[in-house]
Amino acid sequence: MSLQLVANVVVLTAIYALVSTGYVLVYRVSRVLNLAHGELMMVGAYLLVATAGMFSGDPLLALLLAAICGLVMGIVVYVVLMRWMTGEAVLAAVLITIALGILLRGLSILIWTTQQFYPAAIFGWHNPPVKVAPGVQISAASLAMVVLTIVVYGGLFIFLQFTRWGVRMRAAGQNPLLAEQRGIRLHGVYAFAWGLSTFTAALAGMLLALDSGVESTMATIGLKAFPAALVGGLDSLLGAAIGSAIVAAAEIAAIQYVNPLLSDVVPFVVLLIVLAIRPWGLFGSREQLDRV
Amino acid sequence: MRTPTLLNFAAMLAAASLLPLDGAQAEDGYTIGVTAAMTGPAAATQAPVIEMLRIYVDNLNAKGGVAGHRINLIVEDDQAEPSKAAANATKLIRQDNVMLLIDSSLSSTYGPVIAEARRANVPLWFAGAICPKDTHPPKPDPLLFCSTGFDFGYDIPVAVDAIKAEAKEPVKIGMVGMPIPISRIGIENAQKQSEKLGMETVDVEFIPPTAADYTPFATKLKSGEPNWAFAYAPWPTEVRTFEALRRLGWSGTYLCYGHIQAEEELKRVADGGFQVFTVNAFFQDNMPVQKEIREMAAQGKYSYPASYADEGWITARALQQILTKTGWPASAEKIDAAMSTLDLDTQGLRGGPLVWTSDNHFRTKQYYRFYRYDPEQKSIARMRDWLTVDVVN
Repeated sequence: MSLQLVANVVVLTAIYALVSTGYVLVYRVSRVLNLAHGELMMVGAYLLVATAGMFSGDPLLALLLAAICGLVMGIVVYVVLMRWMTGEAVLAAVLITIALGILLRGLSILIWTTQQFYPAAIFGWHNPPVKVAPGVQISAASLAMVVLTIVVYGGLFIFLQFTRWGVRMRAAGQNPLLAEQRGIRLHGVYAFAWGLSTFTAALAGMLLALDSGVESTMATIGLKAFPAALVGGLDSLLGAAIGSAIVAAAEIAAIQYVNPLLSDVVPFVVLLIVLAIRPWGLFGSREQLDRV
Repeated sequence: MRTPTLLNFAAMLAAASLLPLDGAQAEDGYTIGVTAAMTGPAAATQAPVIEMLRIYVDNLNAKGGVAGHRINLIVEDDQAEPSKAAANATKLIRQDNVMLLIDSSLSSTYGPVIAEARRANVPLWFAGAICPKDTHPPKPDPLLFCSTGFDFGYDIPVAVDAIKAEAKEPVKIGMVGMPIPISRIGIENAQKQSEKLGMETVDVEFIPPTAADYTPFATKLKSGEPNWAFAYAPWPTEVRTFEALRRLGWSGTYLCYGHIQAEEELKRVADGGFQVFTVNAFFQDNMPVQKEIREMAAQGKYSYPASYADEGWITARALQQILTKTGWPASAEKIDAAMSTLDLDTQGLRGGPLVWTSDNHFRTKQYYRFYRYDPEQKSIARMRDWLTVDVVN
């Protein structure tokens, strides 16, 4: 395998890992499978288009503002929609997320049409290639995706392990009843988990948009990252990263050595194999799966 | 307080009953149905066509319609899904009683729509979407017509010949497509055609529309060391593959079909090795008709850049001529007869007129232009003016 292929695997892993973080965060804390995650990622990318239009001379401010909007969007989704699903059947909550996805797709077309937008062009940035090793080049946006994914995973690890809110989040995920009895405000924790989830989704959407633009079909990338989260285990962040690497490597091997058309199918083939052997995913918790 | 409120309500009902209902309007106007990919994966190309058509028709209606009768344009979104297109066709024909059906979607939607149109004997017009063979001469289906600029049967030989003519050294070519019927057939034809002309095909990539990153496909393409690449696919696939190739350090020349986005995108990409061939003139020509399109697009709050509007404009002008020839009272049969005599001056938007006859529901000639970005001039350069190709029987 050439070094360029390794670089391609790393970039695709970063894309899937950053997107699947959101699936894991929401599932781990509230046991809800968010099937609108791809659409939320797409809206995050469109938010960058909006902020880039307002602050074209200050890309950092535009990025920061869009990321904050992404965080707020998740909290709003929880407060307006998901909060009312507390105590209801998990399936009902999942169906709500499907409806939310359809709604977001429709709204984004109404607001941004079906035109392709390039936030990088609005900033006057050309996304140059970066030489990461002799004979190995990736785009600057892809490099940013890899770095940011590492930062997000590192940040989440520290947050969940060592901060009060992180511990509350884990407690709410493990035993909500006991957590509430110990004074943890579940709605606050859930809302924050949704906010973090859409924040990471928005980051992924923004970087993808900086790399190759955004249009109304971007949400499908979210669907492609879903097998990565499942392969790793839906309640494990480490699993999401490793699952992403497995799926990305399989996909790139299929493109390079078998048939590019298989790249769409391979993530789901990997998923089927893993689920057949270990239905709760490579690093997932068996107990949690039984509960679902 | 209750009595006046009830009286008001009764008065409103009475007033409403005096207003013309949709059905009454439909009986008094030309009812045209559209099933189009207004959302979904094909919407980026199809929605701008239908939106311009709607703006043009609204404008025409504001001026009194055609022969004093309004055009009732009913647009249904099929999301490029055959089942939805079938349901739309059934609804438009049976419920809305349309006299003409327009399809602007993926070819996968054609089967059920054609079947429904044939059952009801309603003419079916493909606008901004692939022209089915049934519209071509010498024996087109009496009900099927097509005004769309591109057609792979003519596009591919023109493109491959152009590569051969421009290349100064033996051509090693990589091909890029998408796994949808038109793209696959187009690329397979291009491969055969290029081999006939002595070019070596080093790789063919059919890239799924859901690809998160185009670099892996570009890596494989580049590994064959092509000095040319040819793409015939929806615009995002064409342009993203090119950009991924460049980021990998590929320095060859890339030719692709110039969809409605091409003019804006050539300026954004700003690379001299990125060439497009198109069937419609770029708006940089600033022709009077393009000025008119710009004005109407601005007035009608067109959601896209005005340069996306040419295909919709041609469709709308052809519709106006067809309905004018049909006269009043109109029927599906009369519209079908009028369509067979279309002779539309495209006012420079294409290389010549759009002509339909009883034995040709496609066109008599096909025209192509080639453009690229000129880095020295920092503007788009026309590489080749209208190339005329006779549509053969």
